[in-house]
Amino acid sequence: MAGLNEEGQWIVLMGLLVAIGMFFLALIINQSALVGQTTAESVLEFPKSDIRDLRSEMDDLVGVLRPLSSGTQSTVLNVVRDDISALSLARKNAVVDFSLTGPEDVAGVLYYRTEFHYNNGVTAYDETAYF
Amino acid sequence: MVNDSGQLYTMEGVAAGLVMIITAYFVLNTTSIYTPGDTHITDMQLEQLASDALAMMDTPEAEGAESPLHSFVRLNDGAGFRTMFLDCCKLRAGGIDDNLHMNATIFYCDRSHDEIKSYSFGLSDVATGRESAVRVSRWVQLNTRPSGAPGTVSNQYPVLLVEVLVWRG
Repeated sequence: MAGLNEEGQWIVLMGLLVAIGMFFLALIINQSALVGQTTAESVLEFPKSDIRDLRSEMDDLVGVLRPLSSGTQSTVLNVVRDDISALSLARKNAVVDFSLTGPEDVAGVLYYRTEFHYNNGVTAYDETAYF
Repeated sequence: MVNDSGQLYTMEGVAAGLVMIITAYFVLNTTSIYTPGDTHITDMQLEQLASDALAMMDTPEAEGAESPLHSFVRLNDGAGFRTMFLDCCKLRAGGIDDNLHMNATIFYCDRSHDEIKSYSFGLSDVATGRESAVRVSRWVQLNTRPSGAPGTVSNQYPVLLVEVLVWRG
């Protein structure tokens, strides 16, 4: 710097700082698309509605079975379970099984104890519910 | 003795170092460039929309009543299903209706042959195969075979899987 005027050093330094700041902001914008991508992929991959639908079918099935005699109940339960298992495997690539026991008297109301199992290789879910 | 005559050279060195690091960073990242149009965000939103529409149609309007979806499947009313589903999906507040297309198929288990079979549920839109379609499904349990359904559908408590392909056209 010999012989040069050094009055402009602050301006150069500030220019550098602003440039670095802009670079990091650009980096954040660049990453936001990536974050949206991975989040959306996770949401699409997670079988939220499959599991919810299955749970809701258990509830419906109990409604169908409730008025039937116990012999008919087990026949209907078996065919419905076979259908749901086969369709889940074929169309949703998921292993699904469930069992119903009951009715049990819980505080004066008859409930069926439902255990169901869901596994699509990525997500495994087990639940015991009373309907 | 401290001399400050080299400050600008130091800064230049720092700047050059940063430029080199940034260049290396961009070169290493060129394999994973995402643009917003390339992401699955729109797919996710469409799937959620269609899934919500099906869930809504599977909800009875009164306690103990039959849900619209159940009724459409039982009567094999594919046209009615299509109209209601698209109405549920397309409505927008304060804008023109969304341009959605759909194609519904019902899958069932042929118990006598132990096979999964399907039949078309109502009129379907023609897809070119290049659309970014999403698939949503809903179970329907019936007591007997739907009136217009194939004879291989069991007449004893058949379980049907309504699958809807949805895409923007």
